[in-house]
Amino acid sequence: MAVEIVTDSLSDITPEFAKELGITVVPLYVRFGEEAYRDRVEMSTDEFYHRLINGPNLPTTTQPSPGDFLDVFKKLAKKTDEILVVTVSGMLSGTYQSAMQAKNMMEEGECRIEVIDSRKVAMSLGLIVIKATEAARTGANLDELADLVRRALPRSNLVVYFDTLKYLAKGGRIGKAQGLLGAMLSIKPILTIKDGEMAPLTRVRSPAAGLDYLYNFVSGFAKIESMAVEHSTVPDEADGLVERLSKILPKERIYRAVVSPVLGTYAGPYAIALTVLEAE
Amino acid sequence: MKPINSIGGQELREMFGAATGWLEKSSADIDALNVFPVPDGDTGTNMLLTMRSTIEEAYRAPDRSASAVAYAMAHGALMGARGNSGVILSQILRGLAQKLADKETFTAADLASALKESSAMAYRGISNPVEGTMLTVIKDVAAAVEAAMANNGKDLVAVMETAVNAATESVANTPNLLNVLREAGVVDAGGQGLQTILDGALRYLRGEMEQMRFRKPQIIVTDMHATKQPQMLAADEIPYGYCTEFLLKGEKLETDKIRKKLEKKGESLIVVGDDSAARIHIHTLDPGSVIEYATGLGTIHQVSIRNMDEQHQDFLEMQKDKGLAMDTAIVAVVSGEGLSDVFTSLGVTVIVPGGQTMNPSTKDLLQAVEQAASDKVIILPNNKNIVATANQVQSLTEKKIEVVPTTTIPQGVAALLAFDYEANLESNIQIMTRAMAAVKTIEICRAVRSVKLGDLKIKKKQPIGFLDGTLLAAGADCLEVLNKMLSELELGKVEVITIYYGADTKSAEAEQVASNIRSQYPQLQIEVVRGGQPHYNYIVSIE
Repeated sequence: MAVEIVTDSLSDITPEFAKELGITVVPLYVRFGEEAYRDRVEMSTDEFYHRLINGPNLPTTTQPSPGDFLDVFKKLAKKTDEILVVTVSGMLSGTYQSAMQAKNMMEEGECRIEVIDSRKVAMSLGLIVIKATEAARTGANLDELADLVRRALPRSNLVVYFDTLKYLAKGGRIGKAQGLLGAMLSIKPILTIKDGEMAPLTRVRSPAAGLDYLYNFVSGFAKIESMAVEHSTVPDEADGLVERLSKILPKERIYRAVVSPVLGTYAGPYAIALTVLEAE
Repeated sequence: MKPINSIGGQELREMFGAATGWLEKSSADIDALNVFPVPDGDTGTNMLLTMRSTIEEAYRAPDRSASAVAYAMAHGALMGARGNSGVILSQILRGLAQKLADKETFTAADLASALKESSAMAYRGISNPVEGTMLTVIKDVAAAVEAAMANNGKDLVAVMETAVNAATESVANTPNLLNVLREAGVVDAGGQGLQTILDGALRYLRGEMEQMRFRKPQIIVTDMHATKQPQMLAADEIPYGYCTEFLLKGEKLETDKIRKKLEKKGESLIVVGDDSAARIHIHTLDPGSVIEYATGLGTIHQVSIRNMDEQHQDFLEMQKDKGLAMDTAIVAVVSGEGLSDVFTSLGVTVIVPGGQTMNPSTKDLLQAVEQAASDKVIILPNNKNIVATANQVQSLTEKKIEVVPTTTIPQGVAALLAFDYEANLESNIQIMTRAMAAVKTIEICRAVRSVKLGDLKIKKKQPIGFLDGTLLAAGADCLEVLNKMLSELELGKVEVITIYYGADTKSAEAEQVASNIRSQYPQLQIEVVRGGQPHYNYIVSIE
């Protein structure tokens, strides 16, 4: 019995891709007023960004309940006796707590479950989940997979170009990037995730300079295993970055993704993210 | 969520116990916010200690009625109040206790009227209430709760939700009411503490005790950036004096009379209590005379006299970990209020006034370097006549100094923006030097005398333009000079033009220039910023 891999929707793994690889993605919730939608399942990225930009009120987000995880665990326990859960950073969301509570609600001996707080977000989490899934297919057991994930996580490097920090600040996820607020020039911040929370890298003055920064970011790594490029509302710019990167790194796989609605609540429109998974 | 119609004394003290635990998690963060009335960085700790004393006493209540527990809490708060914020907190709890007197349990309506009393009581204890502090927050909370009673009268959870929302909003607004907060780019620490306590209470009512173990309260952030660094406050060397507080026990104490008597002896005076016990807090240069007066009225207990100047020093130390989280400090030479704000908002630690018309001395720069809260300092001279002076600082200090040899304001801004938070000092110097070279600078000023330079004939007071320090053009007006110079430049790869206009230039004229440039180069992002610099009518950054 292969180990089943579970993550949450902040890994930015699309439902289609998850189905193809056999990953279970537990969605968070995005809420507009009284209406709550399951991330990506009940609200598409297109519809979300349309409402984010044009709607009168900013959305809020909610973690999955322990019950959401419990349902998933119960279902998977019918076909496996080992489950690996890798969640978004516990500093950004309570998802890890929900997964832990659900694990503790399972009956003794029902199924072995390991829950890991990735301290990452978006494809810097997604790439690790994909890697774990591939290893699970080749027959790795739960302990081996957990070890693999823990070793790979520090090698997953995220860099995000933000058009504005407004959404991140309003959503209370600004972290160490708070010092970038309130600049008296129009600046575009570039952030990373460090020790589980958002932290500043630098600032640029235009989208093109931001894309250049992302492009040059890969030069900081001696050996790259894979990469991911994702956008909130600017697919063409993100495609352009993929094209440029594939010219200098033709052999390395570049995954393409879209920032999920729950994450988009904080990233805002025009954001572009790059993840570089460094080779061991 | 199940509505809660009423709660008794047991739940009351559990609720505030949970709130105290919640406050404990962020008391250090609240300490770091503290800039008013004295930036001594102890508000969070003081409120926490006050709450601990409150809760301890709550468990000594003679029975479990709401009235007995609330009274015990108010007593505990008064006895254990620490600092300004602690004393105001004790007044809030006293107001609560007065309205809950004789009640076995209390309802949402009781809570609303108690909060109103708390607000009134809080103001009553202070001789000169200042808005934009926790006083404003409790007032806004009381008003919001009273207004909400009309709609959702019964549910305590809903009422507490209203209270927390009002507190959050009110705290976020404190920098708009109190200048010193706006300058420091923070919200009021005491207000934040109160919001955290109410938030903790709400979470208890919602039954989220388990979740609270894993979470931390959110500190409300303001999107206003510090325009003044706390170091600069220290430079003024205002004597803060002694924070003096004690508990006065006696008979027939008259708090009003005591307040009146002490008012002239210092700042931030608070006198609260009843006729048998009063807590007194004052910032004074002469604590001896305050104590002497008080001992004539009764016995004094829990006397604390702290030197606030020392506390302020500790606070500055604490600031090192805050803000932009740069472990490298940046010192920049800038003149003009607007330009200083730009540099400060982008993370410069110390501004040294100076530029083309006024070169700072080595001593000025050394002082700034010593003032900066880091052992590693980068200097941005922003003028070619200041680069050499900046280079001399290294030999005069133990600190590690690097100079990025910026010769214009736009070069300084470009270098500053490119600062990489994750890179070490050496790589940052490389990155910043590269960024500085990627920007072109046009400076436009008026000729101080008539001169003939090659083909250029320049009359006195005529506008002239420099490109990266070289005189290139003259013209009838600034716009003409700027246009001439832009037409000579290769603008194909340029994306952003920033126009900083000087102290003697009108904003309408600057806007006119900008819109002219915009219409000629529609693909460019043109930004106009008031630089307020002397000498140069315009400094233009092309990047």
